[in-house]
Amino acid sequence: MGEKKLFKRTLVGTTFTVCLAVAGTASALDWLMLQGTEPDGASAPVKVWGFIQANYQKDYSTANAGGAYVPAKLIGPNLNAQSGFTLAHAQVGVRGTGFPLDEHINYFMLLEAGNAATNRSSSGSNGVVVTDASATLNYIKGARVRVGLFKYPGSEEGLQSLVKTDYINFTEGANFLLLERFPNATYTANVGPFTQAQLQNGSNINAFTGTVGGFRDTGVQVFDSFDLGKDWNLSYAAMLGNGSGIEFDNVDGQYDQYLYISAEKNLASTGPANGLKFFAWNQSGQRLADVTNDTVANRKLYDRKRSGLGVKYMAKPYRATFEYITADGMIFEGPDKPSYYFANTANPAGTNNGADAKANAWYLDGGWYIPGTKWELDARYDILDANTGRNDEHKFSKWTLGTQYNINPMAKVTANYEIRTYDCTASSPQCTNADANLKGVGNKFSLQVTAAF
Amino acid sequence: MLKNIRSIFCAIGFFIMSSTALAADASFADYKYVLHISDMDPSKQGLILNNAVNLLEAYPPGAVEIEIVAYGPGLRLMFAQNVNAKRVDSLSQSGVKFSACGNTLKAMTTQLGYEPKLNPVAQVVPGGIVRIGELVKQGYIYVKP
Repeated sequence: MGEKKLFKRTLVGTTFTVCLAVAGTASALDWLMLQGTEPDGASAPVKVWGFIQANYQKDYSTANAGGAYVPAKLIGPNLNAQSGFTLAHAQVGVRGTGFPLDEHINYFMLLEAGNAATNRSSSGSNGVVVTDASATLNYIKGARVRVGLFKYPGSEEGLQSLVKTDYINFTEGANFLLLERFPNATYTANVGPFTQAQLQNGSNINAFTGTVGGFRDTGVQVFDSFDLGKDWNLSYAAMLGNGSGIEFDNVDGQYDQYLYISAEKNLASTGPANGLKFFAWNQSGQRLADVTNDTVANRKLYDRKRSGLGVKYMAKPYRATFEYITADGMIFEGPDKPSYYFANTANPAGTNNGADAKANAWYLDGGWYIPGTKWELDARYDILDANTGRNDEHKFSKWTLGTQYNINPMAKVTANYEIRTYDCTASSPQCTNADANLKGVGNKFSLQVTAAF
Repeated sequence: MLKNIRSIFCAIGFFIMSSTALAADASFADYKYVLHISDMDPSKQGLILNNAVNLLEAYPPGAVEIEIVAYGPGLRLMFAQNVNAKRVDSLSQSGVKFSACGNTLKAMTTQLGYEPKLNPVAQVVPGGIVRIGELVKQGYIYVKP
């Protein structure tokens, strides 16, 4: 039995088994319930909320022999400098139950006004964008229905709130495999690398015409959480979406399928945010892409599959997270390679590129809240193995060492230092070319203030 | 003679009934609080329950009597599915009384098209505001957090 089929059967079987259980309340780590529902009998008609994240980042990478830079050596999402201040996120939203006597329907809406990847493309800033707008219908016990644009059920890193994220930048796996960049309508040649002078004169190393997906999709999701007793909850979600991120588009006529299951042990008795969660997820869909450099518009459907599993433990003063991700198809190779070529030389046959490659990634994160203080120490190791088995296979690994000072429950300062190692690992001409740029990828320092309301 | 006997029985019966009724209202508690909730703001639900817990903890067992009266949007605290239902049950077991406004219940039933299901520990009183008045007249300390 295939891995996907086994996952689906397990999910369906388990879901029916627990349907008789009483619907439970959300634990601190149950993002499906926390983001998709409101507390019964205690929700506001309108709750305004949001957050600001302002940061400074400095990249210590060196230019290649020609004095030029690739995206990994520049600060995103603008990708035109190696240091700078930015407003990474400025999000404001409303959520609640429009008619508070009837808890059957709740809504969730969020706008992004910061300098985020969700509102930047090759044409610059798109201004304020809607990243979430959904309504949840809570009429069927065990099968709540959420419709609209929202975070799809998936990886812990993508599903959790940005305010709760313990690091400033994503893991390499999340960035390359999950934070989706969508193919341009036509074949677009690689751009860059660019020298500092070229960047200063307006050369744009992001050649994608669309924004990143932001771990979101538009569609319909059926989900719920069940109280299994002894503080254990089981949550599930099944979603059908356009597969187009925050763009309201389904040009390929295909739908993405998302499955998610998690078991959470509520440890609230030891602290309000404490819990233990085991989770697994699967996504499959298709994307239209033109990967042949032949001046002919010949977009073709490619499979895009992602799956993962992991565990998260939070019981202050300790925190630990592990997640393993596999990817098949549509492997992002960098914002300078919109038609999914890792090497500068395009392959007319459309092979040997990320569109039909495989990849995997994992990360291990640990945190220690120093007792009696507002300080927290964090460390994370993550690794991405992309284009597995190809002659341009590459591995990006990263240590992120960090500290957070929690000013109050709604505000914190985060400092990160990333130690990065980027390698093209195959012994091929493609890797010789790639390593000419990748070997210069250096460490990065980031300092960020988060203020939520 | 028969008339006199009947009168005596009636008097005894009246005395017994009055005593029973008096006993229901009478309390030997040193302190009596009526906590009032009528707000839409969900944070008030947690606050009023915290108030009740703090009062129970502040006095020796039996020294304080607490009644929470809800009307208007505040009645949602006493909905059966309320997220705080377990805390309401726990407080009820500790002796806290919960009174739900009948007028509000009628109005909500009209709006919803069905009667909202209340937590079984909630006693429906004809009017929440009237109940508060009665309790204050009986010497209860009125608090609206």
